[in-house]
Amino acid sequence: MTDRRRILVAMSGGVDSSVAAALLVEAGHEVIGVTMKTFCYDEHQGPGKTCCGLDGIMDAKAVAEVLGIPHYVFDVEEEFTRDVIDDFVAEYGRGRTPNPCVRCNSNTKFRDLLRRGKALGCDGIASGHYVRIRRSSGGIPHLLRGRDPAKDQSYFLWGLPPSMLEVLHFPLGELTKPEVRDRARSLELKTADKAESQEICFVPTGRYRDFLEKKLLPTHPALSPGPIVDLSGTVLGHHGGYADFTVGQRKGLGGGFPEALYVLEILPDTRTVVVGPLDRLSAVGAEVDGLNWLAEPPSEGEEILVQIRYRSAPVPSIVENAASGSSVAIRFPTGARAVTPGQSAVFLRGDRVLGGGRIRRSRLREPAAGRLTTTT
Amino acid sequence: MTHRAYTYLDHAATTPPRREVVEAMTACMEDDYGNPSSAHGPGRRARRRLEEARSGVARALNAEASAVIFVRGGTEGDNLAVLGWARRQAAAGITPKIVTTSVEHPAVREAAGRVAAEGGVHVVIPVDPEAGLDLDALDAALAEGSALVSCMWVNNEVGITLPVTQAAQRARAAGSVCHTDAVQAVGKVPVLLDEVPVDLLTVTGHKIYGPRGTGALIARDPGDLSPIHWGGGQERGLRPGTEDVAGAVGLATALTLAVAEQALESERLQAIRDGVAARLKAWDPGVRVNGEALPRAPHILSLGIPEADADTLLATLDLAGFAASGGSACASGSAGPASSVQALYGTSDELTTLRLSFGRATQADDVERIAQGVAAACERVRSLAVA
Repeated sequence: MTDRRRILVAMSGGVDSSVAAALLVEAGHEVIGVTMKTFCYDEHQGPGKTCCGLDGIMDAKAVAEVLGIPHYVFDVEEEFTRDVIDDFVAEYGRGRTPNPCVRCNSNTKFRDLLRRGKALGCDGIASGHYVRIRRSSGGIPHLLRGRDPAKDQSYFLWGLPPSMLEVLHFPLGELTKPEVRDRARSLELKTADKAESQEICFVPTGRYRDFLEKKLLPTHPALSPGPIVDLSGTVLGHHGGYADFTVGQRKGLGGGFPEALYVLEILPDTRTVVVGPLDRLSAVGAEVDGLNWLAEPPSEGEEILVQIRYRSAPVPSIVENAASGSSVAIRFPTGARAVTPGQSAVFLRGDRVLGGGRIRRSRLREPAAGRLTTTT
Repeated sequence: MTHRAYTYLDHAATTPPRREVVEAMTACMEDDYGNPSSAHGPGRRARRRLEEARSGVARALNAEASAVIFVRGGTEGDNLAVLGWARRQAAAGITPKIVTTSVEHPAVREAAGRVAAEGGVHVVIPVDPEAGLDLDALDAALAEGSALVSCMWVNNEVGITLPVTQAAQRARAAGSVCHTDAVQAVGKVPVLLDEVPVDLLTVTGHKIYGPRGTGALIARDPGDLSPIHWGGGQERGLRPGTEDVAGAVGLATALTLAVAEQALESERLQAIRDGVAARLKAWDPGVRVNGEALPRAPHILSLGIPEADADTLLATLDLAGFAASGGSACASGSAGPASSVQALYGTSDELTTLRLSFGRATQADDVERIAQGVAAACERVRSLAVA
């Protein structure tokens, strides 16, 4: 082949990154597998339990050996703790719902891969994300959503430094998950039928509350009791800490109400969780900060698509102010459900990822009771 | 990958079994398959092989055959010495006290921690990079009642040799007993039990071109120990389970050869070690040879390298065909901090540990190539922009 490269591929030990590595090998590249050790769980674990996501590391090593490629483990625990976990805890403390995977991909994983890849003489970096890179006629690399809308993972990658698009390879971008599993089976990779990981890597149990209790003081407002109120301000009950809630959540409010209630807002200053019926969950707009652009930013009044949660369909949006500064306001002409401070907003023009930011505030459909019009 | 030609610089991690060992074990597995406890011909034959191996191990160390307890590796030997002694004391109503150095292998360190968790006492004696083991602190610890002193002979991460003879003499004078983890010492320095008054000594096969999963605890008085495994009377009840006869034969073969070749091989390895060290210090005067002021075994060169990320350095070396290691390899394969280097130089030490350990596969004319390979890898890793 004419374009043989030395490519560093991030292998988590899951089926996607296993197949990504396999496809690069098939394409004739010289491939080096790495697993990032981001977090050590051993403080919670005794003999017989795995440490450092050890099962994943061992699976990645086994796949690399079958593919005939070297495999290394890079310890990024310190950076990961600083850039991802500390932010995760702080955001929950502020009553927001963070995306640690976005933080990791933006700040830790790919930057570190690039840095180390250079030392290892690599000219490309790859991962098993379901996204695509396509070059424009002028040779400029564009980041596109994955071909399979059910698996598209561009939501996690808006924070990449734009210069990195030049060196990135995403071998799975044109494939669907079933196709990836078929490839894994035909290659007899041991990860072919491995279950999808559903939880964030450093809280494998999914019990965020337990994790936050280890990181925050027990007296922290996020872990302290507060009122549950409706849109008129009537106290309906009490909760044990607003860190247990996210916008759009239905569980955990207690039953016995005539209609189903959803979390609409979290007001950390008063530790208040505001609830209301489903039809009030729709936001008319949002303010987004922490912006990162992978393309020319949209102009004022431009109609674009915005994805506000992982796996949710992008919603039509209008850019209200030129996205020149550090934040941008967007309007959802047809509404957007459960717009949640702390989550990412990813700006799309068709399939192309323009960039993104963090949702700072949502604007609800109708003003409720003056002070409750925004969540911060 | 499998067929890449490697320069193997990790003999302190493990060694390839030598031909004599493989042949002796193969013959044993084919011909002496019986269970040594069986009352028939094949059983008796296996018993004979096992006892010959026991005598071979004893001879190599100038010990009594009756003192040799076959175990299944260095960790097991260390555990049996520390936990076995402590539980025997506890059974007699005495609170067990374990005194270790600050640079012990986890097999000793964590066993001592276990003793403390079970109600005993664990005292740690510091080791200084200039002055070595703090013998005054050892005396002070021994003044407070009888203890088991566990003092490793050669440190696995740094290669320093500890004053085992002095530690053992002091222990004996104070009415205490002394164990030494000699896993990295046999075949590298003279290990003679008629000259060093230790009571317990651990060896393993796989560091001396013998089989993995084999080892022996030499116990002058096995009655000092309680078992830590249960289920049979083998090895005086201290290591129950059907004996690994071929493993014992492999261990005895490897140990006998290692001891016979020790003087010449040590001289050869020391010249290689010092040659590589001198070249790397000339390349970068900021390179520190860990433990350089202390007596060291000849096969381990532990380096403190400025401004190099450990994982990336090892990956770069691997891609260049050099198999080396960092600190204590965590099971993940990531280079964890070297706990002995931290014990010597503190936890805020900025230098990255690189351990090169030499052996039969290392030739004198490799010195230049090894030093150049390491220097080139370090330069490559340093060139990456640190975030």
